[in-house]
Amino acid sequence: MNDQTEMMMDNIRQFAQANINDIALKIEREGVSEDLYNSLIQQGLIGANLPAEMGGAGLDRTSYDAILFQLARASPSVAFHVFMNNSIILKILEKASKKDMIGQIVSGKIRLGLIPGNIIEGSSEKSNIIIEPSKMNIYIGKENASLVDGMPELLKSKSLGLRGLKTDLFTSIKDGEKLLPYGDVEKIWNEASWDAAAIFLGISEGALEKAIEYTKVRKTFNFPLKDYEPVAFRLSELKSELEILKNTLFSDDSKEQMGMMLKTISAEFARRATKYALQFHGGYGYLEDFGVEKFYRDAVALNALMFRPILDKRALAASIYGEKSGYL
Amino acid sequence: MDFDLPEELEEYRKKVREFALREFTPELAEKCDREEKYPDELRKKTLAEGLVDFSNPWKTMIAIEEMCRVDPGLGISATVPYFGAEVLMLHGSDHLREKYLSRVAEGKAIMGLGVTEPGGGSDVAGLKTNARKENGKYIVNGGKMFITNGSIADFFVMLVRTSPPDDPKKRHHGLSVLVVEKNFKGFDSNQLKGKLGVRATNTAELILNNVEVPEENLVGEEGKGFYYIMEFFNISRVFVAAQSIGIAQGALDRATAFLMNEESRGHFVGEERKFKLAEIATRVEASRLLMYKAASYLFNYRPNPMITSMAKGYASETATFAAETAMEITGATGLQTDLERLFRDSKIMEIWEGTSEVEKIVISRMMMKGDKNE
Repeated sequence: MNDQTEMMMDNIRQFAQANINDIALKIEREGVSEDLYNSLIQQGLIGANLPAEMGGAGLDRTSYDAILFQLARASPSVAFHVFMNNSIILKILEKASKKDMIGQIVSGKIRLGLIPGNIIEGSSEKSNIIIEPSKMNIYIGKENASLVDGMPELLKSKSLGLRGLKTDLFTSIKDGEKLLPYGDVEKIWNEASWDAAAIFLGISEGALEKAIEYTKVRKTFNFPLKDYEPVAFRLSELKSELEILKNTLFSDDSKEQMGMMLKTISAEFARRATKYALQFHGGYGYLEDFGVEKFYRDAVALNALMFRPILDKRALAASIYGEKSGYL
Repeated sequence: MDFDLPEELEEYRKKVREFALREFTPELAEKCDREEKYPDELRKKTLAEGLVDFSNPWKTMIAIEEMCRVDPGLGISATVPYFGAEVLMLHGSDHLREKYLSRVAEGKAIMGLGVTEPGGGSDVAGLKTNARKENGKYIVNGGKMFITNGSIADFFVMLVRTSPPDDPKKRHHGLSVLVVEKNFKGFDSNQLKGKLGVRATNTAELILNNVEVPEENLVGEEGKGFYYIMEFFNISRVFVAAQSIGIAQGALDRATAFLMNEESRGHFVGEERKFKLAEIATRVEASRLLMYKAASYLFNYRPNPMITSMAKGYASETATFAAETAMEITGATGLQTDLERLFRDSKIMEIWEGTSEVEKIVISRMMMKGDKNE
């Protein structure tokens, strides 16, 4: 981990301690507050990975992923909000040379919602997921990413994860201003693999830390849970896997292929790690007050939103074989 | 060897499924989940249609499976008003059975089982709630945690300590079962809100502050409570296996329908997702057969705790596997359907009525005792 990344890890850990940790449950119940949105802007976290000439902070890949990692440890919803803006929305606007709009987003004057549409698997024309609905939204359609003006007609949503964010469903999409062809959006998506992995690993660390602390103090049959082999061995194995994955995340390597590999493994790892973390809390893990069930929910919800089991694996297979593979 | 259930039970299965599909409306399931509200009207309808018959455990098991297949929160709520009834049926006096069980069977009362405590989930013998005898009554002090029906039940079959263990290594000695009514002075309950899943079911913490329980409310013999509860777990674990298989089958139904719909719309469905479907289907089938084996021993009065633990442990892990894999197969669509609720509901299966770890302890102990089913 380079010095800048290490410093960023410390800064954002402190930011999360001061602004998120104590209200993490409130975020799940009531959503991200305006105060917290403003704090993200003031801290320069929106636009963190954009070049300075576009109004961003110009952070390198690992420093930016340190932000996502640390935010996800505290609140996956907040981390996804930053990811959605920086890794998808602002990148699309950057490629579409929408500098003015970028400036307004980075300064907090406007917010855009995201309709991931065709970039995620399993969405249909009849009901699209919208995240953080706004007056203007980026819609990723079959052929283009476009700027959709006006609030779409919303349906009642069901929210497995990301309860801190507003998510909804809607049916009708008006035509909007075309920003980028789909192929370019796909490239942005693949480049964001590192960032998605950072969130999956942050979620995993948040859950595992809770489980490790809990099993030190919770006793059964007169001994702390940590004294039992199945608990200690499993959590130690998961923590070891996590550290190895983090080493890759914070290495100097920024190749797209390695990012896709890391995302593929981290997505599955997050589901597994959060499941054990909840399990070792017993019945208490099933209650939101203990703060571990949200990681379990979010790991699965984010798998559906940030990892495409077929398309992402096909892209990975193509990069391994050097040609189109895994399509039959 | 015949792997088919008798025709009578298959007919019953159909009847329960038709009922669940008719009465477990998406609106009711969504509302009870969102508001964490127990569906009392559904309990009454289920009783009125004669769909929960605790005198026939095979029917009970099938009813639980079929109802949880449609919606686990509603399915468990509809079949759990009798929770703990077997303890009274097997060990309660005629007076207690008549006084309490008949009211539950008539739909006039709900019951619960009070075993788990805040400081000890799996460690049943380590419980702290105590009952001292005074003037022909038991005076009960302590607390219970994660009690199903906790704030809606009229009475509880409750495990308490009535005397210190005669040997520190035998903590399971000195435990007894009492029937404690919610109207007894000193009894209080708090509903636990914010559960990950099965939110239609009622779960509460019980507070017992000098609760006076008539001596006649002792179930069976004093000091034998631990054995009665372990015997009960041997029964209830088969029913949790049924809940789990219902969830897994429900996830399989939804994933299958999704892929068939995708194909019918001309969308490509590759073998990767089909293989996942096959894995779920295989595990559901294996879990069901294991449950039938455990049920067959149990319902023929030859309980086999090792097979029961295998059935519960494997079925519960199949439930979470199936729900999670179905979410993976359906992607963003799964997030927008009741599959996400099944996913949330599934996790408790690996925790209640003995965690997966406890089931493995039971299995391995019995294996190493040479107490296998050979």
